[in-house]
Amino acid sequence: MKKHTPRLLRQVLAAGLSAALLLPVLAQSVSADEPYDVYNYNYLGEAVPSQAGYLAERAVSGLDLGTTALNAPSDLFKDSDDYFYIVDSGNNRILKVDPDFTEVVKVYDSFTMPDGSSSPLKNPKGIYISPDTGLMYIADNENARALVSDKDGNVKMEITKPESTVYDQQLTFLPQKILCDNAGNIYIVLGNTTKGAAMFNADGEFIGYYGANAVAKTASVIANHFWNAIASDTERSFRARSTPTAFDNFDIDSVKGFIYTSTSSGSTDTDIVKKVNPEGYNLFDYMSNFVWGDLFSTWYSGTSYKTKIVDIDIGDDGSINCLDATTGRVFQYDKEADLLFIMGANGDQVGSFMTGSVAAVETRGAGCENVYVLDAGKGTVTVFAQTVFGDIVHDATRLYNGGYYEEALGPWLEVLKRDGNYRRAYLGIASAYYNMGRYKDSMVYAKKADASGRYNKAFERYRSQWLKAHLTQLLIGIVLIIAGVWLLKRIVKKRRANAVAAAAVPDTAASEE
Amino acid sequence: MMDLTQPQWVKHVVFHPFEGFEDLRWKKGGTLKYTAIIIFALFIALIAYDRWCGFQFRPLPDAHFSVVPYIMKSVVYFGAWVLGNWSICTLLDGEGTMKNICVYSSYALIPYIVSTFINVVLSHILVRDEQVFFSTVYYIGLLWSALLLFNAIKSVHQYSFTKTVAAILLTLFAMLVILFLAVLFLSLFQKVYVFFYSLYTEILYRVRV
Repeated sequence: MKKHTPRLLRQVLAAGLSAALLLPVLAQSVSADEPYDVYNYNYLGEAVPSQAGYLAERAVSGLDLGTTALNAPSDLFKDSDDYFYIVDSGNNRILKVDPDFTEVVKVYDSFTMPDGSSSPLKNPKGIYISPDTGLMYIADNENARALVSDKDGNVKMEITKPESTVYDQQLTFLPQKILCDNAGNIYIVLGNTTKGAAMFNADGEFIGYYGANAVAKTASVIANHFWNAIASDTERSFRARSTPTAFDNFDIDSVKGFIYTSTSSGSTDTDIVKKVNPEGYNLFDYMSNFVWGDLFSTWYSGTSYKTKIVDIDIGDDGSINCLDATTGRVFQYDKEADLLFIMGANGDQVGSFMTGSVAAVETRGAGCENVYVLDAGKGTVTVFAQTVFGDIVHDATRLYNGGYYEEALGPWLEVLKRDGNYRRAYLGIASAYYNMGRYKDSMVYAKKADASGRYNKAFERYRSQWLKAHLTQLLIGIVLIIAGVWLLKRIVKKRRANAVAAAAVPDTAASEE
Repeated sequence: MMDLTQPQWVKHVVFHPFEGFEDLRWKKGGTLKYTAIIIFALFIALIAYDRWCGFQFRPLPDAHFSVVPYIMKSVVYFGAWVLGNWSICTLLDGEGTMKNICVYSSYALIPYIVSTFINVVLSHILVRDEQVFFSTVYYIGLLWSALLLFNAIKSVHQYSFTKTVAAILLTLFAMLVILFLAVLFLSLFQKVYVFFYSLYTEILYRVRV
C-alpha cells in the first residue's frame, strides 16, 4: 500500500503538469485568428514568430459601400478630414467614402471645366488632396491630363503634355500618380520615363524632373561605363546606356515636406524606397544595403519570390508603410526605417489578398490606428485595426524616437511581456537604463539584443563607475599583491640558498656522480 | 650545464628565441606530451577568443557555433604543417625527425596562445576605444611566435637563413596541397560510401521482395 500512494501522487501530478503545459497551446490556437503566421525579423535577419500589431477587421467591397462593385481600383487616399477617396479606374470614377468606411458620400465621375463644359474621367489612376488648400489633384490617365479641382468638381487647372524642350515630345503624357507639396508644386509619376516625376509649379508650368533613382552600381554597369569611356563617339552612340529604374509610386509627409518614393521593379535592389528632400537628394542614401520588405528576397534572388513594393504611405506619426504585391504584405516601419510590423498574406480570407493585385495602402489616426489595403483584383478595401500590442509598440516607438528613453521604458517592458522576440524592446530598455544611469541593467539588455556597440557604451560607464567606487580597494589590492610576490621571491631565494649551502658543504659524493 | 626539466625547457625555449631551440636540440629536450597539451590549448584559445571575449569585442553571434572550424584551425592545420615540413625538408637535407618538428613547432606557438588568453581577459576590462592595447598584445604574440617558429625550423633542420625561408615557403605550399588532397579524398570517399550504401539498400529491397 505504501508503495502505491506515491505512484498515485505522481500520476496526478503528471496529469496536472501536462494539462498546464497544454493550456497555453490551446489558448494560442484560439487567439491566433489572422489567416497567416505573424513574424518579425531578429538581428540576424531570421524570421521569428511575433505578436500581431494589426488584425484584419473586415473587407469592404463596393456593394458594402452602397454602390456597384469596384472595377480594378488603383488608388486609395485619405484627406486631412479623414474622408477616403477610392480611385475606381475601371468604372472611370472616384468614390468619396466616409471616415468609418461604411458608405459612399460622393461620386466624382465628371468635372466642370473652367469654360462650363463637363468632362468625364477616363481611367483615372491617382488622387491627392492638399491638406492646405483642400484642392483635389487627379491623375486622369487615359485623358492624358491631370486635373486640379475643388471638392465640388469645379476644375481650377488642367495640366496636359508640357511643350518644353526638356520634356521629350515623343513621349506620351499619361499621369499615373500625383501629389502636391506645401508650396503648391505638383509632381506627377508618368511611368514612361526614368528621369523622375514630372514637376510643375503652382501655375501648371513644367519645371523639370524630380527625384530620379540612381543607377545601381552593378558590375555590368561599371563595365559599360568603362567601355564607354574608351569608345569613340560613333561607337558610343550604338552602345547601350545605363539607365536607372523608375519609381512608380510616392507619398508625401505633409508635415515635414519629404517625398517618399517606392520602386516596384524586380530588376533592382537599390533605391527601392527613397526619402527625397525638396532639393531632390535621397536622405536614405546612406542605407544602401538596407533591404525593404522581406529579407529572403535577397537571399534567394533570381527566384520568383522578390519583394515588390507597389505603394508607400506615410502615416500621421511618420511611420512608413510599404505594400508588397508579391506576398500581399504590408511592412510597417517607423520613421527611422526600423521594422515594426508585418501584416497580410496572399489568400482568400479577410486579411489576405489576391496574388499580385494589391494596389494601395493608406493609414489613419495619429498613432496609425488603422491600415487600409486596396486589393484591385478583389475590388475590396481591407481594414486592419491596431491590437493592444500594436498600440504599446507604437507608443514606445514614438517616445523612443522622440528621445524620451526613460518614458519609453514602461511601454517597452510591457512589449517584452507580450513578445519576448521583439528585439527593439531590448534596445529600447537598454537605452532607457543607460540614460537612467543603470549601466549594469543596460548591459544585460544590450547583450540580449546582441547590440555590442550599445553594450560597449554601457560597459564604459559601468567600468568608470566601478573604478570610482572601488579605487581604494583596488590600489590596496595591487600593493598587497606586489608585496606578496616580492616577499615570496625573497623566501624562495633564501631557502634555495640554504639548500645549496647545505648540499655543498658536507657531501663530496654528490659531485662525483 | 643546461640540465633542465621539461617545464624548464619550455620556458627556456620561449624566452630565448635565438638560442633556445639550438640548446633544445643539443640536449635532446622536449617531449610530445607537451605538444599535445599545447595544441589542445591552442584549440581552447581559438574558441575562447570567439566565445569568451567581453561582449563589446565579440565578433560572432552566440546563436551559431560549430566546433569543426576550431578543430580545423588547430589540429588539422598543425598536422598539415608538420607533415608538409617533414616532406619538404626530407628532400632538402633537413636533419629534423617528424617528432622533433612536431615538438619544436608546437613550442613556438606558445606566445600566440598566451597572447590570445591575455586578450580574452583584457577584453573584459577594455572598451572599444582602447582596442589598441588589444591589438598590441595580439601582434606581439603573433610576431614572437613567428620568430620562434622560424628559429625552430632553422635549428631542427640545421639550415641557413635563406634555406629556412625557402623551406617555410615550400612548406606552406605543401600544406595547401595536403589540404586540397584531403578535401578531395573526403569527398571521394563520401561518394564511395553513398555508392555502397545505395547498393546495400538496393540489395535489401531485392531480398525483401
